[in-house]
Amino acid sequence: MISGEEDRMDAAAGTPYMLRVENGPEGSVLELLGHVIGSGKADALILPFRVPSGDSFAWILFSDVSLLKEAVPFPATMPVQGGKALRSLTRKERGNLKVIALMRPCEIRAGIELSKLGQVNTENLILASYDCPGAVKLEDYVSDPASCDSSFSDMRSRGEPSGNVRSTCSTCMDFSMVDADIHFGYFGIEDGRMLVVPGSPAGRALLEDLNLEEEEGLLPQWKAEISRLAEKRAATREETFRETEKRISGFDGMLATFSNCIGCHNCQSACPICYCRLCYFDSEVSGNDPEALMTAAEKRGGISLPPDRIMFHTGRLAHMSLSCVSCGQCSDACPVSIPVADVFSFVAERTQRTFEYKAGKSDGEALPLRRFLKTELDGVHDMVKDAESEAASHE
Amino acid sequence: MNKEFVPRITSFLCKWCSYTGADLAGTSRLQYSTSIIPIQVMCSSRVDPVFLLKAFLSGSDGVLLGGCHPGDCHYETGNYHTRRRFAIVKEVFESLGLESGRLKLSWISASEGPKFARIANEFTEEIKLLGENPARKSIFL
Amino acid sequence: MSSISMEKSASMGLKDLLGYLLDSDKVDSVLTMRRIPETGAWDLALISDSGNLGEAEPLAPVMTVNAGKELSSLSLSGKRIAAVLKPCELRALIERVKREQGSLENVLTISHTCSGVFPLEQAADGSMDELLPKYEKVSSMGEIPSSVRDTCKACQHFIPMDSDILLSAAATQRPGEGCVLYLGSEKAEEALKEFKGNRDDRVFDPSSLDRTAAARKKERDRLFTSMENDCSGLDGLLNVFGKCVGCHGCSRVCPICYCALCDFESMNFDYNLPYFEEHLSRKGALRLPADTVMFHLGRLTHMSFSCVGCGMCSDVCPVGIPVAAVFSRTGERTASLFDYVPGRSLKEEIPVMVFKEEEFSDLG
Repeated sequence: MISGEEDRMDAAAGTPYMLRVENGPEGSVLELLGHVIGSGKADALILPFRVPSGDSFAWILFSDVSLLKEAVPFPATMPVQGGKALRSLTRKERGNLKVIALMRPCEIRAGIELSKLGQVNTENLILASYDCPGAVKLEDYVSDPASCDSSFSDMRSRGEPSGNVRSTCSTCMDFSMVDADIHFGYFGIEDGRMLVVPGSPAGRALLEDLNLEEEEGLLPQWKAEISRLAEKRAATREETFRETEKRISGFDGMLATFSNCIGCHNCQSACPICYCRLCYFDSEVSGNDPEALMTAAEKRGGISLPPDRIMFHTGRLAHMSLSCVSCGQCSDACPVSIPVADVFSFVAERTQRTFEYKAGKSDGEALPLRRFLKTELDGVHDMVKDAESEAASHE
Repeated sequence: MNKEFVPRITSFLCKWCSYTGADLAGTSRLQYSTSIIPIQVMCSSRVDPVFLLKAFLSGSDGVLLGGCHPGDCHYETGNYHTRRRFAIVKEVFESLGLESGRLKLSWISASEGPKFARIANEFTEEIKLLGENPARKSIFL
Repeated sequence: MSSISMEKSASMGLKDLLGYLLDSDKVDSVLTMRRIPETGAWDLALISDSGNLGEAEPLAPVMTVNAGKELSSLSLSGKRIAAVLKPCELRALIERVKREQGSLENVLTISHTCSGVFPLEQAADGSMDELLPKYEKVSSMGEIPSSVRDTCKACQHFIPMDSDILLSAAATQRPGEGCVLYLGSEKAEEALKEFKGNRDDRVFDPSSLDRTAAARKKERDRLFTSMENDCSGLDGLLNVFGKCVGCHGCSRVCPICYCALCDFESMNFDYNLPYFEEHLSRKGALRLPADTVMFHLGRLTHMSFSCVGCGMCSDVCPVGIPVAAVFSRTGERTASLFDYVPGRSLKEEIPVMVFKEEEFSDLG
């Protein structure tokens, strides 16, 4: 993963720019975005704003630059996954509205996965990301916004997840440059400056006329810091995944992990990838009709209600783990604090690795289940052959 | 305020009675408020209460719902349902301290051109007193 | 109608009753809360084998799902079910039956006086166990436990309306006191014909809970006044619902919201680009995803008069919005427009399905 990031940084579309951040990183980034609107290169922005009660954020699509000063480009928490916001805007036909969205790397990746799923149209959409130290748990943020803002600020200055950060953030290897059109890099760069890295020709075209200084000198120290932080994250990832594996292993493990589940499906609603208007597991074909349930109760001596909650989770894993970006929204949304994201990000790494697929890359690679090779996945093939020959020997 | 406030009043008018009444006001050359933005529906009971909410949240300063007089509905019982639905929306508004005066239900028959003009003008004046709908400027809705 | 008393706690008595109903083939399954032995988690279970009743905790003060909601769809199977329901769950069942989402024909309802349920988080993290003794003590004194859902504290309908069997759960909190089952229907009489216990013709006296009713009324006034203050006007509404993330968990767990496809999740609220462009040109800005407040106002309009105040909505909200308090307060008002009490009687039709030729003369 570390080398993947470096490749992306190297493949960035040309020399990065430098942004002087005299009025703080937030102010300078907002100013830059304001210039982009002012120059007519984009029509609107999608940025987080603090909600009226002050204890959360909302995505706002806006073209009125006088609102810029109220935007919060780097919010401490993630109430709505950016991929979801992009979905609501661009799912249907695109027009001429050129929009720039500034979001966390995992939100960008979700947006890219959604575009492969036909739920986001990236035409006329410029995706911008930034170095992310993690996101504070939503529940914690809502109960104490001020102290969470302060601990997040601390996380940003060190580049590291800490405190009441989401557990998936501590294991995230995609916290810096991803396949966005523009990336704001600042880990390891001293105060007063920030890198603005074009990630695509479209990103470069946008930045070209903004009178920013080109600056290659900052690259090595930035890359080195990202590398250093990534190594730490990798160690945490391995350890956490091992713990997760132990915890969910076997039928008993799954039952214990999801024991408190009440079947509210908040995890699914919060997930940017789960876009189905009618989830398969709510539909008539998933066997939750009254007759089937009563029969099951009679056969087994009893059933738990709402029915098929383990089925729902394992089914959701089967359906979407290939596109899971490990953002952690699911855990935050769970009313009984099940570590859904830990389970999903662990399994997602395995399913994605099976197909050598990485969710969230915009390199034109089709979703694994939409393509196949005539010869592949030997392990599965052998299992089938064994089963066939065993069946034949019984005839 | 340098410009005079011209309210926008989204008006759902049933084809058989209130819309025809509005037409009559027009053909009779009666002057009535330009704030009325008419939307014809076949029956006032076609109006899902959610339409009233959507109109209000989209920034309409007033929302008018016009139907036949109870007992005269072209489809016999439609407007009885309309009346109950409107009562609910009004109560929801009042319970939440939202200005229920921005919502109006009015029974206007096909022959009541002057009544339509009067209601239109009176409601417009009421809305002028309430002022611009704060929902117009609200981005967090 | 008769009553049956047993010299055991209400919980044990109920478990005996459920076992009897299964073993004597009066029902095919029973619906009750249970505690999962392996994990200690709380669960709603449909049990067909009386051997599994050891895990049952029929009077557990916890609600993982509104049992009325689950029961209503099961009741369409034609199989016979006896269900232990909290008063609001019974009311929810009635409301769903009115909406053709369930049937009472093969259902034997067993309900009990309720002191409220613990919030889900406490049931899930084990802290409920520590708080249980105090809960039992306080409720046995007719007072309101401090650790329950806010809508439970304010609930005016904690005595079941019209169940086949009624049980006074206050007896669980008084050790040594017996359990009394009040039979309220022919169906109950028939089903419990051979059930062992001391019979007499005692009738449940609701005045025994007058003290609790008074305390609940005070709580209701306090909660509703605080909602009136916090959630007043567009600004107040935005303050309370502004941080909504649009997960719709509230409507998902709501027993009344039964629509397979909610209007607000349908294509009616799925916008084309021209919609956004128009909004941008008019307002200069808009929120994504759209219709945050719209959803709540719409849901209030669609179902508030049937809200039974169970409080599931507030409990699942990821950002702690007091949905239940807002909905039950507005719901009380919209229901009273029609002198309607949700779940009071199957004979009372849903207010929007009927009308009177003369009413609301001040409107129109």
